[in-house]
Amino acid sequence: MKKEIDSIVQKTEEELEKDAFTIVGINLREVNAVTRKPITYWQDAWRRLKKNPVAMISLCVIGFLIILVLIGPILRGYDYISMVPADKNLESSAKYWWGTDSLGRDLFSRVWAGARVSFAVAISCTSIQIVMGCLYGGIMGYFGGWLDELMMRGIEILSSIPSLLLTIVIMIALGNDMVSLLIAMSITSWCGTARQIRGQVMQLRESEYIMAAEALGASPFWVLIRHLIPNTMGLLILDVATAIPGYIFQEAGLSFLGLGLQAPAISIGLLISAGQLVMNSHPNQLIYPAVILIVIVLAFNLFGDGLRDALDPKLRQ
Amino acid sequence: MLKYSIRRLIQLAFALFLIATATFFLTNATPGDPLTERAMQLSDDVKANLYASYGLDKPLGERYVITMVSMLHGNFGESVVHTGQTIQSMLADRLPVSARLGIQTMLFGVLLGLVLGVIAAVKRGTWIDRLIVIMAVLFISAPNLIIGLLLQRYFTGVWKWFPTIGWPSGKELWFGGWKYTILPMLAGGLGYIASYSRLLKASILDVIGQDYIMTAESKGLSPLRIVTHHILRNSFIPIITRLPITVGMCITGSFMIEKIFSIPGIALYFVEAVSNYDLSIVLGETVFLALIYVTAIYATDLLYTVVDPRIQVGGGKH
Repeated sequence: MKKEIDSIVQKTEEELEKDAFTIVGINLREVNAVTRKPITYWQDAWRRLKKNPVAMISLCVIGFLIILVLIGPILRGYDYISMVPADKNLESSAKYWWGTDSLGRDLFSRVWAGARVSFAVAISCTSIQIVMGCLYGGIMGYFGGWLDELMMRGIEILSSIPSLLLTIVIMIALGNDMVSLLIAMSITSWCGTARQIRGQVMQLRESEYIMAAEALGASPFWVLIRHLIPNTMGLLILDVATAIPGYIFQEAGLSFLGLGLQAPAISIGLLISAGQLVMNSHPNQLIYPAVILIVIVLAFNLFGDGLRDALDPKLRQ
Repeated sequence: MLKYSIRRLIQLAFALFLIATATFFLTNATPGDPLTERAMQLSDDVKANLYASYGLDKPLGERYVITMVSMLHGNFGESVVHTGQTIQSMLADRLPVSARLGIQTMLFGVLLGLVLGVIAAVKRGTWIDRLIVIMAVLFISAPNLIIGLLLQRYFTGVWKWFPTIGWPSGKELWFGGWKYTILPMLAGGLGYIASYSRLLKASILDVIGQDYIMTAESKGLSPLRIVTHHILRNSFIPIITRLPITVGMCITGSFMIEKIFSIPGIALYFVEAVSNYDLSIVLGETVFLALIYVTAIYATDLLYTVVDPRIQVGGGKH
């Protein structure tokens, strides 16, 4: 190809008078060379995400929230459990930034300790959802056939069960502690992820590199873990970004209804529930946990929106 | 199509059976039983009579069969806590309350959401569109729990525009008593506004980009006719298929809203029954709510095929 072009160039140069032209700095090699480094899917997505101010601000807020969740409970030097009977129901002050609750406990420390529990619940449930969804969906999509049919019917039946009711009934049976909350909230949550992964895997398994791996004798498990799951990463990251605020809110709602965790455990939902009881006399006890819950959910939702735009190949130009 | 609808019907019936069974065994697996407290001070033979009257003296397997069979006859058993109450008498009392709130909330939220969705799509890129988008994200992120509590705090606590507690009854049950219903309606409806406006806007923008809109334009149709006959018709498909779930859920009430505003609906009763270990009521209400949910899902499935002939359903690979 290159030789052909070179010979054509030579011919035209011979036909025309050479002196009539001066080379102003064009070099065929340079033109044909790759001028930009090839960028991967992730670099591309990150570049687009950086251009989205809302998503970047949300990302900073999420980072800030994570720092506060980690150090918030110890930042003020108060224990979030021990009570100071003399300092009941105080307003915000320099001593207690967000005031104290009805038992004289520092609200700032309590809100962040509660947020820590809510985050822990959300992250655990999301992990269960992703792992279960990947395994179930991956097996369905990879093996196909009657196994896929059978497992798909299972998902269809499970997702026809109203999940909130099932969660509540499981909480009755297992009691109001952390482990039962995790089980209750995760029992049907993975169905959606499994469906998405199944679709993605079905598409991918037709591609050449999977065939190559299989021809080289890779085991189905290896193909699934090494090739199929990494290629569904975009989908999974989006799932995580939307699942976390969902679980935080679900935990808050269940605890608020008295069906989730129960005191002396602590969570954002329990703080809001306690705040409602005294909201007319001491509004700060409701407002602070409520606002923090909104900020958490809002930051994750806005970041998730930005992430969707950044990762969606359909929007590429 | 017929094969698909029959298959789904069997599946959904099985799902209903599954939730009833799970509820029965899970509630019976709780430590202690609902009568422990009442039976504590009774003599042994009175206690045995009490247990026998609720059928709790029989072994678990037998009780399961009895419960399932009588459930098919619409008999869920008597409430353990409120003597004489059954699930039917409870529904008769409380379903209208939940339904009134739900229907009012849904009409407010869905209609306003659809209007805003059309406006956002028509004025896309302008500040009106941006305002609606920001509002939608805010309403989705601020859950109805928080919105409800904040509305209650400011409108009844601080400014005292509305009464704190109460619900219309008697003649006003279905129409009237607005001072009680407006705040719960707002708290529950903002979520509908957010989700429906987003859904319709995305759908309209999707339809506008399609080739058949260009075809309609090139045929020389008037803009109004294109909007009413082509754009709106097609962009309403996702809305219509979503409505059954919304309607089903709205009638059965919202746990959060009823709890926050102390509205005597079925959702609040369910929460109370759970806290009191009133197991026959929990079982009956779970089955009732699941029945409505499953019916709504079935309606959605059927609507998909009716509304949009392009959607092909059936077994096999997709």
